[in-house]
Amino acid sequence: MTMLMTIILFGLYSSALYAIGAVGFTLQFGITNVLNLAFGAILTSCIFVEYYATTHSTNLWLAMLVGGGAGALLSLIVGFGIVGAFLRRGAGGFNIAMVTIALGLMITYTLAAIQGPFLFAFNVSNTTTALSISGVNLDSQQLTTIIVAIAAMVVIHLVLRMTKLGLAMRATADDPSLTRGCGVSPARTRALAWLISGALCGICGVLYGIGVGTFGPFTGADFFITAGAAAVVGGIGKPYGAMIGALIVGMVGQAASAIISPAYAPISAYVILVGFLILRPQGIFSAFAAQRELVA
Amino acid sequence: MSAANVYYLSGLGILFGINLIAIWGLDLQFGFSGINSFAFIVFQAVGAYVTGVLSLGPANTPVTFETYILGTRWPWPIALLFGGLAGAALAVPIGLIAVRRLRGDYQAMAMLVLALIANDLISAETGWFNGPTGLESVPQPFGNLNVSLHAYHWVFLGLTALCCIVAWWVTRGISRAPLGRALRAVRDSDSAVAALGRNPNQLRMVALIAGGFLGGLSGGLLIEYVQAWGPASWLYPETFLFFTALIVGGRGNMAGAALGTLLVPVGIVEATRQLPQIGYPGEFDDFQWIAIGALLLAFLWFRPHGLIPERRRRLRPADGDRSRYRRGVPSWLRRAPTS
Repeated sequence: MTMLMTIILFGLYSSALYAIGAVGFTLQFGITNVLNLAFGAILTSCIFVEYYATTHSTNLWLAMLVGGGAGALLSLIVGFGIVGAFLRRGAGGFNIAMVTIALGLMITYTLAAIQGPFLFAFNVSNTTTALSISGVNLDSQQLTTIIVAIAAMVVIHLVLRMTKLGLAMRATADDPSLTRGCGVSPARTRALAWLISGALCGICGVLYGIGVGTFGPFTGADFFITAGAAAVVGGIGKPYGAMIGALIVGMVGQAASAIISPAYAPISAYVILVGFLILRPQGIFSAFAAQRELVA
Repeated sequence: MSAANVYYLSGLGILFGINLIAIWGLDLQFGFSGINSFAFIVFQAVGAYVTGVLSLGPANTPVTFETYILGTRWPWPIALLFGGLAGAALAVPIGLIAVRRLRGDYQAMAMLVLALIANDLISAETGWFNGPTGLESVPQPFGNLNVSLHAYHWVFLGLTALCCIVAWWVTRGISRAPLGRALRAVRDSDSAVAALGRNPNQLRMVALIAGGFLGGLSGGLLIEYVQAWGPASWLYPETFLFFTALIVGGRGNMAGAALGTLLVPVGIVEATRQLPQIGYPGEFDDFQWIAIGALLLAFLWFRPHGLIPERRRRLRPADGDRSRYRRGVPSWLRRAPTS
């Protein structure tokens, strides 16, 4: 019983982190059709910004505000500014992926130069138990992460389904030229997509950074493997798919960690990913990948 | 020229050769066949590891305490050959996962994630290739030659040149053969290739395997030269060093790849090691990577086809037909000049 509860609660916690990151990544890809391989680097820089701007504060609400803001700004510069300029110049497909990679490398190694040989860590020793179910304790940081993730998913759902902005986003993802014909500015929609994706990336980054306690220039790239796996499992470009993908990856990871050994948590995520890539590469929600001819 | 400079230059020559083999391999996969091979560094890594464990001798001796699989002391040419073959063999699972059904951006992302996974896996499984520490003190070819360090460099340079000739022969052979034409056709339009009765996936697989062999071969040479190899030697950015070389030099042609190799991995990364180092150890490397990213952006902006763009190939009708072909086509229907 305790083991089952451990798997459910901690699985929910890691799913929450993956969901924020994966939804941010996949939402932007679905709308702008740009594969943002600098996502991990942006995520890391948000942790760095938070660490410096708030002098290592572990206040989650402050951290999310600073990190989310930094992520939104950086994502707008990278995606709408630089990648947008390359797109207007006529670069496409592979070259755009290389542009995001180059930007990601420049960000990552700038952070490496800033960090130098030092270890960066948050002081997270004085945690309090916030929730205790049948002997399994979640501290306040983990509980907050779960609540924030659920709130973010609900907000994204409401924005996508209930507002005109959400309609414009879904329409741009489906057919950009037709959307333009309906009087919706695709540029504005894309800018918003980059902003939202960056904000989610930053929030996810600071929650992850403070949750783990230590971080370095490659933290984001490591996190991106699993969050990206969740996005692929759900069907890339589909926010709802990313939520389900995150739940699968997080829960199975915790189950493997509790039943076999903690080292198997990431490995199980990789096994799920590779299994999906072989058997059902279009993911659970397959429409996007099939429409854009990403899968043969 | 002083002896130290000659030693340094011969070292640069060796690194040029090793990188050139890998970049020709990547050119086969990416430049000729259009596979977004963001996991390329894994081919080099597996080649290095396999060559290492096949020439290190039994594992876990009281001297080294290294744990790894196999552990034989085969002569270096055989170990090197198996390094290349390991790269070729690894191309099969990677191809099945990422090349068979995935396309475009999605393929690029799957490849990148595979490279990150592979690095994590090798670090976690300490029994395979000594985990995060990696392999050390790998014996060098002709290690018992008993010559000076300077003379040995020339021996190794000769060996590298020999391998480069093999790589040149493989790459040029494939690119000139009908197979090369088919590969370029797959890159440009795989549905057209399928309509003409060739299997695009099979062709991509061939390119992936041939490129994997060259990647493995270069990895094998690299571990024999530097004598050590660990997960930190093949972090995912290394793949983009190769891609930067191809984009700067020009993808899809061998001369462009060679020029890119000379400018990027040798010119920017290795040759600048003589500059005065700044800051803490490793800070210089960080600035190098920032410079490489900036160079990549600059080329993608100003000269996306590289310094030596791929030659346009066009189908020429047989001599007798040509005049008829020209005469029959009104000027406004002729092929528009392309940029």
